[in-house]
Amino acid sequence: MDRVLTFVNSDRPYVRWGTVLLALLIGGVIWEIVGLQFNQAIMAPLIGDGVDHPGTLPRLGRYLFDDEEYLLSLVQSIQLFATGFGLALAVALPFGIILARLVMLRVALESYILMLYVTPMIALIPFILSILGFDFWPKVLVVYLFAFFPILYNTLEGARSVKPELLEVAKSFRSSELAIWTDILIPYTLPYALTGIRQAAGRALVGMVAAEFFLSTSGLGEELQTASRNFDMAGVLATILVITGLGITFMKIAGVFEQKFSAWRGLDR
Amino acid sequence: MNAATAAADAQSSRIEINGVGKRYGDLQVFKDINLEFREREIVTIVGPSGCGKTTLLRCIDGLLPVNEGEIRIEGDLITQPREGVSMVFQHFGLFPWKTVRHNVGYGLKLAGAPRAEIAEKVPYYTDLVGLKGFEDAYPYQLSGGMQQRCGLARALTMEPSVLLMDEPFAAVDAQTREILQFELLKIWGMRPMTMVFVTHSIEEAVLMGDRVVVLKGRPSSVFEVIDVDLPAPRDRSTLSHPRFAEYREHVWNTLMDEVRAAEFELN
Repeated sequence: MDRVLTFVNSDRPYVRWGTVLLALLIGGVIWEIVGLQFNQAIMAPLIGDGVDHPGTLPRLGRYLFDDEEYLLSLVQSIQLFATGFGLALAVALPFGIILARLVMLRVALESYILMLYVTPMIALIPFILSILGFDFWPKVLVVYLFAFFPILYNTLEGARSVKPELLEVAKSFRSSELAIWTDILIPYTLPYALTGIRQAAGRALVGMVAAEFFLSTSGLGEELQTASRNFDMAGVLATILVITGLGITFMKIAGVFEQKFSAWRGLDR
Repeated sequence: MNAATAAADAQSSRIEINGVGKRYGDLQVFKDINLEFREREIVTIVGPSGCGKTTLLRCIDGLLPVNEGEIRIEGDLITQPREGVSMVFQHFGLFPWKTVRHNVGYGLKLAGAPRAEIAEKVPYYTDLVGLKGFEDAYPYQLSGGMQQRCGLARALTMEPSVLLMDEPFAAVDAQTREILQFELLKIWGMRPMTMVFVTHSIEEAVLMGDRVVVLKGRPSSVFEVIDVDLPAPRDRSTLSHPRFAEYREHVWNTLMDEVRAAEFELN
């Protein structure tokens, strides 16, 4: 029993990666078996038989390597994501630090920020649609709103927790406000902000698909809708895999930055 | 002794504290403090916990405003931190994301010092405090004593005429503390300036101070200023000097009642 526990709880890399691979393999096999049981309009298997049961992975391969229109949709979606997410970053980061420095402004806006942070942004889509219409920019606004509040909220929390001792040192050394930002506020807040950015990346992806679904259809949202209207489950699942891949990529990138900029935090005495 | 006192009197005073008082709301921390610190002397300020000695130091640095009276350094009224005054903090106050090199150079960079000056002074003072070889280390990689060496170098690099020490060795273990005390005295001997040194350790106050200011009372005020007449330079042998023990006992007896009262209040 002890040996079993030791093995199960082992942190050796080959046990770890072996476990991950095995879990994925089991998931894949289940998917394949279930997929083969159903009509292709209801469910598609992972690999499939190519005739009655078209597979998801072959479809994914065709999408990515042999379908220019699909790649165009992918680029369109990434553009939408990048614009909305980039704007959210550019506004939320400085705004978060300003709110931490100006107590009265923060107190005035805090309840609004909390409310909007917990509001499901998807509920605002009808408003945006009726006020702004179907262009590219209303869609950007949707992505922006999904991403903005997690970044703002975490940046604000980070900037608020800046150690007063460090601000005291800055004052004693006659620091300017600008230097307080570059020497203390930004480096101190960055790891917190990146936690928010990682959350925001996931949310912005939801925003992207929702915008492409409910406003004028475009990009991956449109591909998803078309496939689903044609009862093409392999297409639907392949597109979902593409979106999942995007999400994991964005999160990993943010995670790398988070580790890089918070190296000092975990070990700070 | 007379000659030494006469020489000290001949020096003009660098810091003047006239009738200074500090309140937090209804709580009067100290009142009617009158002190003069001369150009090249170490004055230690000692008192029981909560007597406001650290607060007084922050007022001298211009970090906190006073409610009554005025503080002047070289004739200038202090309302905010002033050039030529540097502080070493009990909490070290190092930037965890900066290396030793950049922590030490922090003040010079803020002051807009030329690159060449920074490149010359930062290694000089890093060596002086004994951190040679650790220039690229981050604070979390250093022991408490080494972190405070870094804090000291950061203050010394500004080549201040007034050095304010806020219980600098209180967060350091006992052995390291002794080593740092003597190294600080040696560094001060190389370039004497006005040093105001706040401590809750009576021994440290007597060892370091040319004069010891004893704060006492609630609200506290200056109870006594003791001229410490011990041979210079002070070093380990000072600790076994008979007069050292006398001064220590004298300050101890002065503070004993208050220390007791403070202890029971804190418990």
